[in-house]
Amino acid sequence: MTAIETSELNKRFGEEVHAVRDLDLTVESGEVFGFLGPNGAGKSTTINMLLGFLKPTSGSVEVLGYDVTKESLAIRQHIGLLPEGYEPYANLSGREHVESAIHAKNADDDPDELLDRVGLDPDDARRPASEYSTGMQQRMSLAVALVGQPDLLIFDEPSSGLDPDGVALLRQIIQEETERGAAVFFSSHILEEVEKVCDRVGILTEGELVALDTIDNLRDQMEAGATVTAQLDTVPDSIGIESVPGVRDWSTEDDTVSVEVTEPEAKMKVLRHLDDAATVRDVGIEEASLEALFDEYTNGSVPEAEPPEGGQAEQATAAAPGGGQA
Amino acid sequence: MSYTTIIRDDFKNTRRSNVVLGVIGILTAFVALIVYSVEEFHPDAFRALFDVSFFFFLVFPIILIPLTYLSVAGDRERGSIKHALGLPNTRAEYVFGKFTSRVAVAVAAVVVSTFVALVLGVVLYENSVDPMRFVKFGAITALFVASLSAIFVGCSTLTASRSRAMFGAIGLYFLFGPFWFGFLPVVSLTAVVEQIADLLGTGVTDKTLNYIRFSSPTTAYLSGLEPVYDGVIDPEKYPQVASNYAGDADGYYDENWYNYLTMTLWGTLVLGLSYARFRIAELG
Repeated sequence: MTAIETSELNKRFGEEVHAVRDLDLTVESGEVFGFLGPNGAGKSTTINMLLGFLKPTSGSVEVLGYDVTKESLAIRQHIGLLPEGYEPYANLSGREHVESAIHAKNADDDPDELLDRVGLDPDDARRPASEYSTGMQQRMSLAVALVGQPDLLIFDEPSSGLDPDGVALLRQIIQEETERGAAVFFSSHILEEVEKVCDRVGILTEGELVALDTIDNLRDQMEAGATVTAQLDTVPDSIGIESVPGVRDWSTEDDTVSVEVTEPEAKMKVLRHLDDAATVRDVGIEEASLEALFDEYTNGSVPEAEPPEGGQAEQATAAAPGGGQA
Repeated sequence: MSYTTIIRDDFKNTRRSNVVLGVIGILTAFVALIVYSVEEFHPDAFRALFDVSFFFFLVFPIILIPLTYLSVAGDRERGSIKHALGLPNTRAEYVFGKFTSRVAVAVAAVVVSTFVALVLGVVLYENSVDPMRFVKFGAITALFVASLSAIFVGCSTLTASRSRAMFGAIGLYFLFGPFWFGFLPVVSLTAVVEQIADLLGTGVTDKTLNYIRFSSPTTAYLSGLEPVYDGVIDPEKYPQVASNYAGDADGYYDENWYNYLTMTLWGTLVLGLSYARFRIAELG
């Protein structure tokens, strides 16, 4: 079953703001989908449309096969939501928030079991939510989201305020829920959180989906961006480094040569080549992180980076992901 | 049943914020003070209700504002609405659940204060007390506060910020209360209507002006209290009460059923229209 399907989804606020542009997205059951993008990219606007809080300007959205504009109630019966940046009811306890969800969904969960699962201490669970730290509030919201064994969990920035234990717990819960068959739609502006749990990632920037791929494919791109640097005694006029298989680009600055390689094996080949051509005084290798790739995507400088086929060196004009200095 | 979920959550949340205790406490204290003070001048307890009704008309709406103005707007500003509407609660259940929870508190305040007035009436006053007059008073006042609560909750439904909700509620209070009633002779609805008629070179009949004057929920409330003084309106003894309730006017505006209908319609209309807008509002 398809958990989420959007087609040419657009959201405008007035004439000026085009918050979501032609979004085409499909999330399948059992899948953990990472919805990435910097703050203000349109992630929350998209989620608000999934929930029926906002009406799409054009395009369609189906959640669990239901049309969001017509069957929002049925959708909310079958999803679990962890909203971002909201204040719970100040004078209700965490436990009462969970009870409220159980009541509204007509579910038969045991609130204490759910609170225990998210690691909210029983004493804390009975205190007013206004006294909660951000982390405790996130745990409470997580318990609320888990009520009724939802088919789709929508987590909007779930790790914010969570300590490392909480983050690990979140990961474990996501795993348990997907094993049960639920889909997880995980929105975040921090790539690191997403890469560990998500099967696929969509990167949204300025309302547009600039990348949509599996983590593995994104990793391939990451490897394409590793940079080997070497400080030489003197840089020969002609190094001939472009003839080394797997080199995409290279440049020199003073006595330092920076070489971008597209595959791991090329790194050693580059070093051997340089060692033959000159006296190498120092070397460095910088693995371009997925983080850097994400940064470049969201800064808009790599709109069409393709996984390289390897082998041939390309022209020096290509913007390379993660091409930093060692 | 999610309508009850909303009511239960909202009632618990409100009750623990002490606003419930505040509203019931302040109202009861004022009513007791009025009943206690009036005893010095009049031997009949129902005469105290006349003063209490003016307190309800002029001051109670101000006490009602803190109880109602943030009912929906506060949730929208703080984002708590995402909890309620992220769950399978409809927007209708949400708005009317909020209204039910708040109106229950307002009506409870009326019931408690009226009961205290009755007890004080029995204990302090010289002449015997007819409890039915207090029951009628409580019932008509309950309709009035329900109408006002609906108006204030409706206003709260239309805004997503605390300040707008506050100004909206205070503005409505002045519109429906002092302005409509004509508390200040120049700044009043009837004065404005007469001015406009003058400018258009026409006049307004007294009957029309009275229809206008009694078409606010607050003025309708005062007019609708007539059954409380049924059979005891004595122009010699109680000229103030008599000037308000004696005689029959030539028009529906003086009829009790018309007054109750006016209060009911205002509450229903404002809350209903506010909900109609909220139903399709963009949240978040």
